[in-house]
Amino acid sequence: MLPVTAAFPERRGGVYNLGVYVHRSSPVHRLDPRVKIIAVIVFSIIILQADVISLLAATGLALAISGLARIPVRTLLAALHPVLPFFFFLFLMYVFFTPAAGKRLLDWGVIQIGYQGVAVGLLQTGRFILLVIIASILTMTTSSSEITIGLERLLRPLKIIRISSHDIALMVALALRFIPTLLQEMNSIKEAQLARGANFKTGAIRGRMRAAMHLIEPLTLSIFRHCDELVDAMEARGYRQGERTYLREPVFSRADYCVTGIMIIIVITMLVW
Amino acid sequence: MIRIQDLMFAYEKHLPPVLQIPDLIIKEGEYTALIGPNGCGKTTLIRHFNALLLPSAGGVWIDDLNTREARNLVEIRRRVGMIFQNPDNQIVGMSVEEDVAFGPGNLGLPSAEVGRRVKEALAMVGLTGLETQPPYTLSGGQKQLLALAGLLAMDPKFIILDEPTSSLDPAARQKVLSLLQNLRQQGIGIVHITHDMDEASRADRVLVLDQGKLAADGSPAAILTRVEWLKALGLAPTQVTELMWKLRQRGETMATNILALDEAVNEISGLLERLRASSNGGLPGKAGRSV
Repeated sequence: MLPVTAAFPERRGGVYNLGVYVHRSSPVHRLDPRVKIIAVIVFSIIILQADVISLLAATGLALAISGLARIPVRTLLAALHPVLPFFFFLFLMYVFFTPAAGKRLLDWGVIQIGYQGVAVGLLQTGRFILLVIIASILTMTTSSSEITIGLERLLRPLKIIRISSHDIALMVALALRFIPTLLQEMNSIKEAQLARGANFKTGAIRGRMRAAMHLIEPLTLSIFRHCDELVDAMEARGYRQGERTYLREPVFSRADYCVTGIMIIIVITMLVW
Repeated sequence: MIRIQDLMFAYEKHLPPVLQIPDLIIKEGEYTALIGPNGCGKTTLIRHFNALLLPSAGGVWIDDLNTREARNLVEIRRRVGMIFQNPDNQIVGMSVEEDVAFGPGNLGLPSAEVGRRVKEALAMVGLTGLETQPPYTLSGGQKQLLALAGLLAMDPKFIILDEPTSSLDPAARQKVLSLLQNLRQQGIGIVHITHDMDEASRADRVLVLDQGKLAADGSPAAILTRVEWLKALGLAPTQVTELMWKLRQRGETMATNILALDEAVNEISGLLERLRASSNGGLPGKAGRSV
């Protein structure tokens, strides 16, 4: 068997790198997906309200968890790579648009940069970076099928408003399942157009935008075609509204109870505080 | 048993029917090839077998289950599995094993039973060892085998295939075809739509559909040797049958029911034998023959 990166170059860089599942045997991997999803939600809420010290503490905790999951820091940072430009932009927004009260770093009349702006910018950017990191830890330690089944279980209460959690889980699963297929398809459309003289890399922005549009159109059509056939195939395999079973049902272990207990304690402390 | 009675199908009431089959029975353990020109209604017909389409008039029964009754739907789809032309669009799961588990999961079987069936089905098609692979890493042939495993895990009585080999390379094609033969021997009924008369010649029975009507129904030897007729329908006869037909056209006396290569070889060496005898032991050549 070829190493994955050799067979699928899109895995090496680009958006696809964002939190791809890393197969390991670790306590974090073995946790029930439901627990992990809820932990990420709780963690996110904490992070969004954290001050500098709790943010540093949370970062330490996140790194400890990823260590426990045996995910190298480098892999974790690689997941950040595609979103870095966005974070840089976010930082600049805070720097320039926070009203400069008190001591100023820079004063050019209209443009004023205060220490406060830089501080707020750093804190906010830090929060978002940590959000991406913990979301990546979730997706790196939980296969997409585990995530979908976890979602399916967590969303079951939606049944009372007549929303089927099975359908939602299936939609998520199908979206994930078709990402590589559509990427492969986009590449072949692109190659077909390159072969006929299209240019995606150089030239005026307008021309390149138009070239990109010419990709989107056939791709959209092919998505509809995929859907049509997929629906038939799913029906032919007995898919219908209502209950279904899965190959692996999540099981709550002792570790899951522990983590859930810790989370409850954290949430209560936060509420009381 | 798939039983069709007075089937008529039209997409809209005021449109002419695209399918009219007075009666047809397809049995388990029988390999049926369904051939016919493009747009003759092959795909429309097979879609009636598992209730993806319902007849406008008449009925279709799987054993004693009428496809019209909604409560029979899941059981009908368990009994009659269907494979489509493009393997990519029938894979639902994010890994090989999960895809195979989709059908049994829809039947609501317990996890342990799903697991057992997944293992068994993957072994049957020879994909054991690839359980956790994402499906997009498979080759076209492996994807079609995966689709077959997905059906086998539902323990079907019939497998209906709509040009399953059209996008496969020759080796993968052979693999799928020989697997189908195995399944037939295990008592599963196969209905195989194909444009390839060589594939059709492996069947027990050939159905020819033309303009929505059953134009012929019989053994491969009886139907695939009707070279002129097949050509008139726009189908490409096998090389063997065409060779025999061309020899007959030249006035040679050849048996009319020859389908297999070996039979053709025997027949031709018989012909050579006769020629050799008539030209007093000399090897037949053009000059020899004109004498």
